[in-house]
Amino acid sequence: MPLRQQVVFLALTGLLLLVILELVRRRRLRVEYSWVWLGSGVSIVVLILRYDLLVRLTETVGAVVPTSTLFLLCILFLAVLCLDFSVRLSTLTRQVKDLTQELALLRHEREADPPGGTGDPAHAAPEERFK
Amino acid sequence: MRVLIVIPCRNEAGNLPAVVAELRASRPGDDIAVIDDASRDATAAVARSLGCEAVTLPLHLGYGGAVQAGIKLGLRRGYDVVVTFDGDGQHDPADVEALVAAVAEGADLALGSRFQARGAYRGGPFRIAGRRLFAGLCRALTGLALDDPTSGLKALGPRAQALFATSRFPDRFPDADALVVAHRAGLVLTQRPARMRPSRNVHSMHDGLRPAAYAANMALSLLVAALGRARDLRE
Repeated sequence: MPLRQQVVFLALTGLLLLVILELVRRRRLRVEYSWVWLGSGVSIVVLILRYDLLVRLTETVGAVVPTSTLFLLCILFLAVLCLDFSVRLSTLTRQVKDLTQELALLRHEREADPPGGTGDPAHAAPEERFK
Repeated sequence: MRVLIVIPCRNEAGNLPAVVAELRASRPGDDIAVIDDASRDATAAVARSLGCEAVTLPLHLGYGGAVQAGIKLGLRRGYDVVVTFDGDGQHDPADVEALVAAVAEGADLALGSRFQARGAYRGGPFRIAGRRLFAGLCRALTGLALDDPTSGLKALGPRAQALFATSRFPDRFPDADALVVAHRAGLVLTQRPARMRPSRNVHSMHDGLRPAAYAANMALSLLVAALGRARDLRE
């Protein structure tokens, strides 16, 4: 890989890694989610510095040109990422369902036996307080 | 026996008075809890005016989430039996007695089966074929022999309530898959005749699911229930 290409790509990847770190630092991105992005950034850096690794990998998987190996890796990475998101979504769905049921049951319990009497507006559901 | 009848409802304000009146006439001693699945009509208010407990879900969860909320309510209050009953007039309150008796005799779960009742409404040919298919799948996968595994009329004893309150309960469309989960967890399942009537609604909670999508989902869910790790069930 020509030096010019290496420098440009290293700069771009460095910028990407900085953005990720900054997002984590500002708490916009949770630490556990940042690993997968940091990992992919670091592997890009490795492949830029050690292009021979990519060539060897291409020979191993039987691809013709290194670019197709790169695309293969990208697609695999995205597939794994989507699967991970599906797993997290399933967890969130169950948690939202459990919380919805819990909220409904607690509100029902409180309506049946309110701490400050039924007429106390402080014990009405927030959206009903202003009716 | 303290019995709680759970009616999961979405926009059933029109049907509830008739359904509850019929239930009260034949089951005067039982408590009735209406689980209002974020209805846009006055379902909860109507339920309260009829003297039922009304639990309103702040978000729409669908049949499974609503019925599970009712089971959790029954479990927390320590009811001997929780009966799940449809809010669209499909179920006949006269059938509840036999189901409650089955639980009193030691069953953990008693299922109302329309194939055991003579001369009753059974739905169109596709529905009958679908139910036969799921009954066959259930038997093939787990050896569980029930005629009508997609019936929504069930009586649950304390052990079934406890199991169905956990995340093992298939909360999307709990029909045959929920029975397979119960069977594999070592619960005692039985069935009693139940007369089903055509729903009063054009759109019941089950109609929203297109039949083919429902069948595919149920088949997959059944497989998952049948192949799920037994270790999880013994918790």
